[in-house]
Amino acid sequence: MSLRGIIFVNILSVVFLLLILNLVRTKKLNISYAVIWFLAVLSLMVTVSTPLLMALPRLIGAQYPASALSLFAFVLIFLTLIFFSVQLSAISARQVELAQAIAIKGLLAQEAEGGTADPG
Amino acid sequence: MEPRVLVVIPAYNEEKTIAAVIMKLRQIVPEFDRVIVNDGSKDNTRQVVNDLGEKQLALPCNIGYGPALQTGLKYALLQGYDIIVSMDADGQHQPEDAPRLVTALLTTRADMVIGSRFCEGQAYDTPFSRRMGQLLFSHLTRLFLDHRIYDTSSGFKVLRANACEVLVNGIFMDFHIETIVHLSLLNLKIVEFPVTVLERTFGQSMHSIASVFQYPLKTVLLTIAVLMDAFLIRRIR
Repeated sequence: MSLRGIIFVNILSVVFLLLILNLVRTKKLNISYAVIWFLAVLSLMVTVSTPLLMALPRLIGAQYPASALSLFAFVLIFLTLIFFSVQLSAISARQVELAQAIAIKGLLAQEAEGGTADPG
Repeated sequence: MEPRVLVVIPAYNEEKTIAAVIMKLRQIVPEFDRVIVNDGSKDNTRQVVNDLGEKQLALPCNIGYGPALQTGLKYALLQGYDIIVSMDADGQHQPEDAPRLVTALLTTRADMVIGSRFCEGQAYDTPFSRRMGQLLFSHLTRLFLDHRIYDTSSGFKVLRANACEVLVNGIFMDFHIETIVHLSLLNLKIVEFPVTVLERTFGQSMHSIASVFQYPLKTVLLTIAVLMDAFLIRRIR
């Protein structure tokens, strides 16, 4: 990659890192997720700025560094999406458990008071 | 001693039919206790059930049929019920069949009895695509049981408490074939018993056009997950 390209990617990455930090500061992004994005951007910066970018195509049998970088980015995005799907599923499962517990405790409380009708 | 029976009725926007179902159950099987699981209905289901003075598990939001039914099963286990009947709130299931299913459970010593629309040559009109899915899943049950289950997607079921204990923490979506596979892998006995199912008169079926594709795929994936889980647990043990 040309020097101009490397500088461009690095500037973009720094802007992205600042954005992540600002999201953490304003409590819009959980620090655990910020770490994931931080590592993703950092690995992009390291790949572009070091000889790794030239070694990567040879390693995976790609002809051009750009194709290797695209594949690398795709794998990273894919893993990130799976991670978020797992997180969403966990939140969804917790929501179901919470809703079930509220409903059961509500009915048990009414029964303890001697009534059956839900107060609404 | 007579077993304690609880009828669990998950309901979502069933204000037009729920009262008739409750009244019929009161009339036909007054000895069975009942609980309505109101799955975050947006209509007056909650009020209708309240006005009738019925027990109601009021979920604060809509969580879907499977988890709603699981809520009823959890409540049943907490209250020490021996037998749990699950039936729909849309009036399609006939309350007259509930005591017959309970008797079938007791006489066959089964752990789960499925109220079937298709066994013993019964005819129930379903759309072609759904019928094809049901046929496929029905034949699949032969791989896990020594007999075929004709109606794998029936919501009219009777379960013993031991089967409920297995199901309350499961990954089940709609308590269909994945439940049958899971219970059969644990050597629990499942039988089918014919019931009458009427056509829906009010409201909409939970099966939308999208679910024609989504439902079979979800069910197949869940069944594979259940099998994988059983295989891995057996290997580890």
